[in-house]
Amino acid sequence: MENSIRLNIGPVHPAMHGVLKLILDVKGDTVIKAQTEIGFLHRASEKIAEMRYFSNYYPIMDKLDYVSALNMEILYASVVEKAANIEIPVRAVYIRTIMAEIQRIMSHLVFIGSFGEDIGNMTGFIWALRERELLMTIVEKISGGRLAPMYICNGGMFYDLPQGIEDDILKAMSTIENKVNHEYNAMFTKNQIFLSRTKGVGILTKDMVKKYGITGPIARASGINRDLRKISPYLAYDKVDFEIPIENEGDTYSRFVVRTREILESIKIIRQCIKDLPSGPYKTAVPWIIRIPKKDTFVKQESSRGEMGIFLVTDGGDKPYRLKLRSPTFFAIHALEELLVNIKVADAFVIVASMDPVMGEVDR
Amino acid sequence: MVTLDKLKSGFKGDLEVLNSEQGLSVIRIKNKKLIKKLAWQIKEEFDILYSLAVVDYSPDFELNYIFSNYKNADILVLKVNITEKDFAIDSITDIFSSANWEEREAYDLFGIKFNGHPDLRRILLPEDWPGHPLRKDFKVDDEVRNWTGLDLKF
Amino acid sequence: MIFNYVYSIVSAFVFSPLSYIISFIIIAILAVIVTALIPVFIGWVDRKYAARIESRYGPVYVGPFGLLQNFADLTKMLGKRFIATNIDWLSFNFTPIALATVSFAMLLIIPLGGPGLEFISIPYSLLFIYTLLAISPLLILVAGWGENNKYALIGGFRGAAQIISYELALIVVLSSVALLSGSYSITSIVSNQSSIWYIAYLPVTMVVFIIAGLAIIEREPFDVPEASQELQAGWKVEYSGIRYGFFLIGDYVRVTVIAMLVTYLFLGGWNGPVISGIFWFIIKTAIVLMIILTPRWVLGRPRIDQLIKFGWNWLLPLAVLNLILVELFMVL
Repeated sequence: MENSIRLNIGPVHPAMHGVLKLILDVKGDTVIKAQTEIGFLHRASEKIAEMRYFSNYYPIMDKLDYVSALNMEILYASVVEKAANIEIPVRAVYIRTIMAEIQRIMSHLVFIGSFGEDIGNMTGFIWALRERELLMTIVEKISGGRLAPMYICNGGMFYDLPQGIEDDILKAMSTIENKVNHEYNAMFTKNQIFLSRTKGVGILTKDMVKKYGITGPIARASGINRDLRKISPYLAYDKVDFEIPIENEGDTYSRFVVRTREILESIKIIRQCIKDLPSGPYKTAVPWIIRIPKKDTFVKQESSRGEMGIFLVTDGGDKPYRLKLRSPTFFAIHALEELLVNIKVADAFVIVASMDPVMGEVDR
Repeated sequence: MVTLDKLKSGFKGDLEVLNSEQGLSVIRIKNKKLIKKLAWQIKEEFDILYSLAVVDYSPDFELNYIFSNYKNADILVLKVNITEKDFAIDSITDIFSSANWEEREAYDLFGIKFNGHPDLRRILLPEDWPGHPLRKDFKVDDEVRNWTGLDLKF
Repeated sequence: MIFNYVYSIVSAFVFSPLSYIISFIIIAILAVIVTALIPVFIGWVDRKYAARIESRYGPVYVGPFGLLQNFADLTKMLGKRFIATNIDWLSFNFTPIALATVSFAMLLIIPLGGPGLEFISIPYSLLFIYTLLAISPLLILVAGWGENNKYALIGGFRGAAQIISYELALIVVLSSVALLSGSYSITSIVSNQSSIWYIAYLPVTMVVFIIAGLAIIEREPFDVPEASQELQAGWKVEYSGIRYGFFLIGDYVRVTVIAMLVTYLFLGGWNGPVISGIFWFIIKTAIVLMIILTPRWVLGRPRIDQLIKFGWNWLLPLAVLNLILVELFMVL
C-alpha cells in the first residue's frame, strides 16, 4: 500500500510468544492491515499419534501446550479412558483435579507476567515467575519434572502424592492468594499507565467471539458465561464449589482481570479438593499396550487457554487410527486479523499478549 | 432432541442418525452436495464449528464436522464421506466463520478442495511442501527429503 | 575553578608557558576519569536498585558488591563483532560518538558538588546544558534513518516526536528558574538559594521538570522510542558492541545530569547546615536519583499518542502557568 511500511514481526520476536508471525502494514504509527501466519512450530503431533501406543503419547501431549502440560495430559488420559472404558479411582480423580488447577494457576501467572512485560513492566514479569516457581517446586516434588512433568498415565497417575505435600500446596496457595490480592493489584490494576494502555483496547464483542468460535477466558472476558468445568463437569468439578469470573467489556483489561480472578477460583478448588482428598488406590492397573475397538470418541475439557478437545478414532489396534486435536488459541489467533486494524503499533503487541497464545498448541 | 427430528424430516433418507445420547449426537449425511443446506439448518441451533476432523479410510475420506453452541455443551458430529475421485466439497465458511482455518488445515494436511472457500492456502506447512502428510499413503520420499534436507524416518 | 588550583600547583614547579600546557593535560586526564567513573557508578546503582525491587541479587561477582560489573560489560562490548549491514556508514557511526560527546560535555560544564568545582566555567551554563539536551532528537532521527531498519525508523520518528513535545516544557521550566534568580549560571542560581530553596516557590515546576527531564532522556516510563518489547530497541536496534556501549554510558550520564539539575535548581544545591556542602549535595542528589530511577521498574510504558497528549495538554500549560506566576511574583 502507498506510503506504508510493511513490518514483518516474527517468527522470532521477543513479544510474539513463540513463533507467531504478524505482517503489519503500518502508516506512521497506525496499523492499517494485519495478517497472521502460523505453522512455524508444526511438528505433526497428529501424525505421530498414529505411530505410537496409547500409553506412549503422553510426552507429545506435554509439548503441545507446554505452559499447561498437565492439562493436556489429563485430557488425553480422559479420552483414552473413555474409549477403553477404564474406570479410575476416586483418589486419582481428585489428584488430577488438583494438578489441573495447579497447572492453570501456573499458566495464568505466566500470562500475567508476559502481559505486564509486553506493556513494559519488567518487574511484574519477574514477580509472576517468582510465584510460579513455588508451584514448579511442588510439581517437581510430585512428578519429578518441571515443565513437562509426564505424571498422568492410563488409569491414574504414575506415583501417589508424596507425604506432606498437602501442607506445601496449602502454604503456596496462601502466598499466591496474598500476592495476587495485594502486590499484583498495586502493580497492575491500580496502575494508571497500565489502565490507560489496556482499557478499551482490542475490544472483542460477543458476536465476534461467536463468529470465530473463541472459548475460554477470552470468551468469558466478553461476557459469555461458558466454562466446561461448570456446564459439563468432568473430574471432580461437580463436587467442589467455585464461581466463573465474567467480565462484560471484552477489552484487553477484562481479559487480564478474568485470568487473575480465575487464579483465586482455582485456589478455592484446590483447597476444597485437598480437604476432601480420599484415601485409597491412586491408579487402576492398565496394561501398557491396550487395544481399543473401532469407535469414535470425542472429549473436550477446559484447559487454561480455552476448550481443548480430542477426536479419537480407533480401529481395534493398539495405536490410534486418527487423533485430531482441537486447540483453543488456533481460533483466537484467527480473530487477530480483524482485531489488529486501526490501532497503534504498540497496541498490537498488547492485544496479541492478551490472547495468551502458546504456539506449540496452535501449530500442533 | 428437537433439532434432530427437524433435520431428519427435512432430509428424509439422506440423513441417518447414528447416535443420540444426551449432549452428543452423531449424524451422517449421504449426499455431500447437501452439506451447505444442512449447515444452514444446523446454524439455527449450533453457533460454531468446533472442529473438523478428517479421517482417511482410503479410498474414502470421512469428514467429521463437530458443531457446538454457547448455550450448553451439546455436541453434534456430522459425518460426510467423500471419495478420492471427486476430492472436493462445498465450503461452509460463509455459514460458520470459524470453519475458515479448519478447512484450510484440512486442505493442507489432506488435500481436500473446499469449493467457495475465500482463501484456500496452506496454513501449517510451507507453500511449497510436497504432498499432504496426514494421509495414510504419505511416504517420506526423496522430494520431502530434499525439501527438508534431513534424513527423516516415519 | 579546578583549572586555577591545578595551575597554581603546577606553576610552582615548572616555568610559566609549559606549566599552562601541563595543567591543561592534567585537567583533561582528570576529566576523562571523572566523567567515566560517574556513569559507571550510577549504572551500578541502577542495576542494584532494580534487582532489589525485582527480588533478585543483581551484579555480585565482579568486584566488591559487583561494583566493577559495568567495567566488565564495557570491556566485553569492546570485543563484540560489528554485524550491521546495508547501513548509512556516516550517520550510523557518527551518532553514538556525537551522543556520548554531548552527554560528557554536560558533565564538564555542570559543577560537581561545590562552587567552582567544574572543569569549564561559563556564565550561561544552564542554557548550555539545555542546548546539549536538545540536540538529541536530531541525533536520534539520524540514527534511526542510518540503520536501514524499519523498527529503527519507527523508533526514530517516535523519539523525535516525543522529545520535541517535551523540550518546550523543559525550557519554560528553566526560564522560570532563571527568572526567579536573575541568572543563567548554575553557581549563582545555587548561591541565590542560600536562604530559601526554590522548591518553596516552585513545587509544581519541580515535578514538571522531573517528568519532562525523564522524557528528554528517554528513561522509562518514557522510553517509547526504544520500547524494548515491541520495537526491540527502537532506534538502537542495529547497534552492537562499543557503539551501543556509548549509548548506555550516555544514558547514565544524562540521568545523573537531570538529578544534579533538580538538586541545583530546586533543592538548594550545596547549601545546608552543619556538614560540608559537598555532602549535602551528594545526599540530595542521591535521593533525587532514587526517585528518578524508581518509575522504570514500577510503571509500564504509555502509548506514543498518550505520551504526546500528556506533554501538550498537561505539562506545557502547567509550566507556562508557573512561568506567569513567577513573573507576577517578580513584578509585585
